[in-house]
Amino acid sequence: MDFTNFNVDQIFGLGDDTNPLLWLIWIIPIVIFMFYGQRIQLQITSGDIKKNIEKLKQLKEESRKELIDYIKKELKPKADPTERLDRFISYFTIMPVDMDPTGIIPKVRHIMRSREEYTRSQVKAIFSDIDVLEITKIQNLLEVTTTLQLLYKIVNHLFLTAKKQNNYPLILPLQMMLPFIMEEANALKEAIPALKQGQPIGDGIGPMIVGKMMLGTEKQSVAFETVWSQTEHDGRKLYLLKAEGPLATVGRPGDGVEHIVSQYKPDAIVMIDAAVKLEGEESATVAQGFGAAIGGIGTDRFQIEEIATKNNIPIFAIVIKQSIKEAITTMTKEIADKADEICLQVYEMIAENTKSGQSILVVGVGNTIGVSQ
Amino acid sequence: MFSKKEEKTDYTVEKCIACNNMIKRKFKTGDFLFKETSDCPSCKGKIRIEKIFAETIKA
Repeated sequence: MDFTNFNVDQIFGLGDDTNPLLWLIWIIPIVIFMFYGQRIQLQITSGDIKKNIEKLKQLKEESRKELIDYIKKELKPKADPTERLDRFISYFTIMPVDMDPTGIIPKVRHIMRSREEYTRSQVKAIFSDIDVLEITKIQNLLEVTTTLQLLYKIVNHLFLTAKKQNNYPLILPLQMMLPFIMEEANALKEAIPALKQGQPIGDGIGPMIVGKMMLGTEKQSVAFETVWSQTEHDGRKLYLLKAEGPLATVGRPGDGVEHIVSQYKPDAIVMIDAAVKLEGEESATVAQGFGAAIGGIGTDRFQIEEIATKNNIPIFAIVIKQSIKEAITTMTKEIADKADEICLQVYEMIAENTKSGQSILVVGVGNTIGVSQ
Repeated sequence: MFSKKEEKTDYTVEKCIACNNMIKRKFKTGDFLFKETSDCPSCKGKIRIEKIFAETIKA
């Protein structure tokens, strides 16, 4: 084949026998995409994002309605609490300045606790006669509604800014993050029935294990909404610590650990917690490791790491893998069925890493809703 | 179009402390883990809630 025998006019359609209409058909789209490509992409992406924003709005409104209906139906307040609750839902938290991060942890702890205490006192003020379990449940439901409201506001703000500025690159990070945001929003919405009914959630597996170990022992309060007890196993003294169930609370494990370590100087700390699984990992798989297994904003983890380092106490961790949805909705059968196996793993870990006569602090970390001790 | 509808049912599993007899029933409001609910019909031992979980069935 002779590749040198070609006609430039034929390729570009410049010959006398070429139809100019055909020439326009391929040159016009190039010009359009050159000047308006980003706007076209913005329009296509916008449609998808708009749908998700509508869904977020719906989730936010449904969660608010469910919270108000639950309060009106179950707790029967004297006055209509809607206006007051709407004010709580819009509350925001300003984090401390982190330009000079030294000493920021006590500031974060102070702000978070002030917020918690304020919400608790305001919830108490709405009802003349309300028990602690219901207060903690409403606090959790408020947290869900507030988070959904915040997600909606942020996503909507980013979308409207990109549209206003006709700025396609501005919408790209939102497009990338949206599937994760929607996953979290859907999980939060699905957490509401479990919170209303006081059922154990996936995150409660740590307190479930320690609660089981605590059965038949004398429980004492060690910090706010946190209990501990003593028992013996295989010649070792065990100090058991968890949030006070069946309240919908994570307690204050940092304060609890600090108190027990300063009083009894255990030889090891074992922490049991739920952990978000990686994609491809199976739910309810158990993994062992080192370090403080505790989530949240980081203040409790910092406190536990600090006291353990100061006293040279090793920290061992057992985590139960699960998705975000599984962690905040009613505990799945797969996770619940693992309880006995995890208990055995805790005892094995203690036997392997400590000697007879030593003492171990076992901490069950997580929201203890529906899990007593 | 091809996604299956999921149906979730919440269950409570009770266990007799004395004879280890297990009973699985639907979850009732007020149930929580390790709550002592009643006496065992066969050995009169205490019955305690052992598990509470949700089972999902794809319809």
